[in-house]
Amino acid sequence: MGRTLPTGPHGSDGMTGFLVRRILQMVLALLGVSIVVFSLIHLVPGDPVRVALGTRFDQELYDLLRERAGLDRPIIEQYFTWLGNAVTGDLGVSFRNGQPVTTLILERLPATITLAGAALFIAVVVALPAGIISAARSGSGLDYTVSAASQVGISMPDFWAGVMYILLFSLTLAWLPSSGYSPLGNGVVEWVRHLILPAMTIGLISGSIITRFVRSAVLEALNQDYVLTARAKGLTEWQIVRRHVLPNAWIPIVTVIGLQLGFLLGGVVVVELIFAWPGLGRLALIAVKDRDFTVLQGSVLYIAFMFLAINLIVDIIYARLDPRVRVS
Amino acid sequence: MTAQLEADRLATKPVSRFRETIRALLANKLAVAGLVVLAVLVIVGIFGEALAPHGLNELDVENRFAGPGADHWFGTDNLGRDTFSRILIAARVSLQVGFIAVGFAVVVGVPIGLAAGYYRGAVESVLMRAMDVLFSFPAILLAIAILAVLGPGIGNAMIAIGLVYTPIFARITRGSVLVVAEEVYIRAARSLGAGDGRIIFRHILPNVMAPIIVQTTLSLAFAILSEAALSYLGLGVQPPNPAWGRMLSDGQDFFQQSAWMGVFPGLAILVTVMAFNFVGDGLRDALDPKQKSVIESRGQSV
Amino acid sequence: MSERVLAVTDLQVRFGTKRGVAEVVNGISYDLHSGETLAIVGESGSGKSVGVLALMGLLAQPPAAVSGSINYRGRELVGISPKEWRRVRGKGMAMIFQDPMTSLNPVRTVGYQLIEPMALHLGLAGDVARKRAIGLLELVGIPSPDSRIDDYPHQLSGGMRQRVMIAMGLSCDPDVLIADEATTALDVTTQAQITELVADLQHRLGMAVVWITHDLGVVAGIADRVHVMYGGRFMEQADVDGLYTQPRHPYTEGLLGSLPMPGADRPDRLVSIPGLPPDPVAMPAGCPFAPRCPHSDGSRCVEIIPRVEEVTPGHDAACHYPLGAGL
Repeated sequence: MGRTLPTGPHGSDGMTGFLVRRILQMVLALLGVSIVVFSLIHLVPGDPVRVALGTRFDQELYDLLRERAGLDRPIIEQYFTWLGNAVTGDLGVSFRNGQPVTTLILERLPATITLAGAALFIAVVVALPAGIISAARSGSGLDYTVSAASQVGISMPDFWAGVMYILLFSLTLAWLPSSGYSPLGNGVVEWVRHLILPAMTIGLISGSIITRFVRSAVLEALNQDYVLTARAKGLTEWQIVRRHVLPNAWIPIVTVIGLQLGFLLGGVVVVELIFAWPGLGRLALIAVKDRDFTVLQGSVLYIAFMFLAINLIVDIIYARLDPRVRVS
Repeated sequence: MTAQLEADRLATKPVSRFRETIRALLANKLAVAGLVVLAVLVIVGIFGEALAPHGLNELDVENRFAGPGADHWFGTDNLGRDTFSRILIAARVSLQVGFIAVGFAVVVGVPIGLAAGYYRGAVESVLMRAMDVLFSFPAILLAIAILAVLGPGIGNAMIAIGLVYTPIFARITRGSVLVVAEEVYIRAARSLGAGDGRIIFRHILPNVMAPIIVQTTLSLAFAILSEAALSYLGLGVQPPNPAWGRMLSDGQDFFQQSAWMGVFPGLAILVTVMAFNFVGDGLRDALDPKQKSVIESRGQSV
Repeated sequence: MSERVLAVTDLQVRFGTKRGVAEVVNGISYDLHSGETLAIVGESGSGKSVGVLALMGLLAQPPAAVSGSINYRGRELVGISPKEWRRVRGKGMAMIFQDPMTSLNPVRTVGYQLIEPMALHLGLAGDVARKRAIGLLELVGIPSPDSRIDDYPHQLSGGMRQRVMIAMGLSCDPDVLIADEATTALDVTTQAQITELVADLQHRLGMAVVWITHDLGVVAGIADRVHVMYGGRFMEQADVDGLYTQPRHPYTEGLLGSLPMPGADRPDRLVSIPGLPPDPVAMPAGCPFAPRCPHSDGSRCVEIIPRVEEVTPGHDAACHYPLGAGL
């Protein structure tokens, strides 16, 4: 008898302590990330500004950019200045075109978030039914088909998949445009038409990963004793899955979906390039090509920050669902 | 009862478990198929040029952009080079980068995990926080950033991919060490006066090998994928060395003239990754069918 | 007036495994009457649990193959469709399991799980269902049932969870209640409470009860008849007094000898039966117990399977040389 939920010193349920610890962890990680990102510009062999300017070298421009980036100060001072600026939203200016990095990033953020969101949507819509059904019909032909498909899905290079989709849907069938982003303001249909292929490219791959997780979570729940009890009561398999298995399987499933959102943030990088999608990933890639280190720093920092934030939210949701996690 | 079985299993000599594992692995048809593919791949990697019907840069100018045919099984590219031969020869690079990068990750990551899991306390905190920082970046982004700094090239690609995969190995090793270090025989060894080094290497390491081996195979799969992505972006292997990823991006450039250019390199990557995945999954099932997903797969790759 | 509710004839269960066909249950037969308590006793691996899972149609076929006859109230159950099974399970025949910790769904309330079979089989809903559920909780001796009904399983003790399981089993007035190792996971005091509860409920409700257990000590206080199972067969079938006072099968004798009993001949020694149970994939040709039997004659016992035959009225054994019967 008696409650088994964790009780803290003030009778709380452990959530606050957990939150505090996790946020602290995130801040620490962010600091580490900031150090890594900051050092990017300083690890470049040679002079980063000179390298960035390349053939467009102009002494005046060079001096200006160096000044603006504060590259002549002592390194510790540089770090804290940079960090302080970053926190207030100033990430310096692009070596390429002099625009403020933050502006460049914020312009492209909506496109990336749209893509990541759409990809996640596709992934979940595909993976949940596929995973649940293949677990419920474990060992059947359907199960093997789903397993095979997901094996292919996770092994597929996303850049190849994207190109193949373009080949099929744009060039051969001419159903969908092969590149570009159409903002929502220009009409929903166009927005969707441009969104489908890139979202599908990452979404199906992510979906394959989630499918396997869902399948194993549901399978594990199916093997629990309470499923035998439910069967002994005379419930149909579907009733058992719906009422007893799924409520228990949700926990790991939600976790993996959340984690996939983080993975998607990375996945968009290459796909944005293929589909000429004006997002953060493409910005970062172009910055690499152009040796535009400030832009690279800024976009990497942003993406890493979003990644960490998503992981934090996922952990919080997980702790809400499963009280045992809160004491870890 | 399971605890007892676990203890018995851990107490049996590694040799008999090894044979048992191999037997279980070979019973898995998919894993065997994967092993066969990998064996073929390794042979191709070593003898690439000798096995290829055409030379790496042999031009068949009249037959540019050809589709699959008798003379050119996979067609030709924009310069009339035989795609099939180029794929065979490029296999070596993919394998090289994959193995060396993962080797790096293991050599760096496993000791970190061992130290963190064994010594606990401040050592663990510092090491694992550092790993957390590496984990905070989406994999491809980190690799790209490293290559932006170091400059493109095969060697730098190996370092970049290796760094990206190091945290996984650290985490897995640490996780396993935490479990194993509580076992009775460790305390027994310590009470007999065994030093830390001896305990770690003689007693702990052999018993955490299983998940490390599985993760190695899976990481190899995705390291190859990462290498392909990097060379696709032009950041990895540089011309004139052939690489599957770059063959793919070349194929994309010449889409209008020939769709076939891009298809086969991608297939080569797909098949290779799948083979490693099958073997990795087979190993995981053979070593411990009940093992939960401590092992991460594609979550941390391209 | 007690009617026969269950007649099992030559029930066999085989499993297809990687190593070959496992013969887990090899032809057991018994009857069950309402108000009667039958105990099936055996070691793990004897097939006792599989036997009752087959009774409830809970074995997936394949890999299992069930043959023989299970006659419930004049109706043959072997070979009926899954849909028809679902109408029997939970209603006519109910089962409670060993581990109350894991046998209840942790994320559903007690009330939800209790009402579920009633909604399914009896069509009860809403207030009516809830009232009946509270009544059931009271019946099984759970205090404050009207608040307990909204609790989650982890908020109850092991003994109370098992009571909830019993309530669930009884919710649709079954003719047969099967308890599969239902007290094994409980401490001794709670064990006694649960067995008393079931006996009491049986008195009041009149259902037949089948106890599956490996513990001969538990059996003594609760059963009317005892069947001893080994290697998928019944070795001995008797009423409880007869079994304990004059066991006829060497295996039963061995089991009884391994019980700590106050006032026994040699209170300082527990006898255990040397050897291991037979491998279901490689069942011996003769008596399954022969390899471990101190009375085996080495020839007939090993070559010919003894059938279950009456030794004295109401007391059967499957042995070529039943104890105390003379040769």
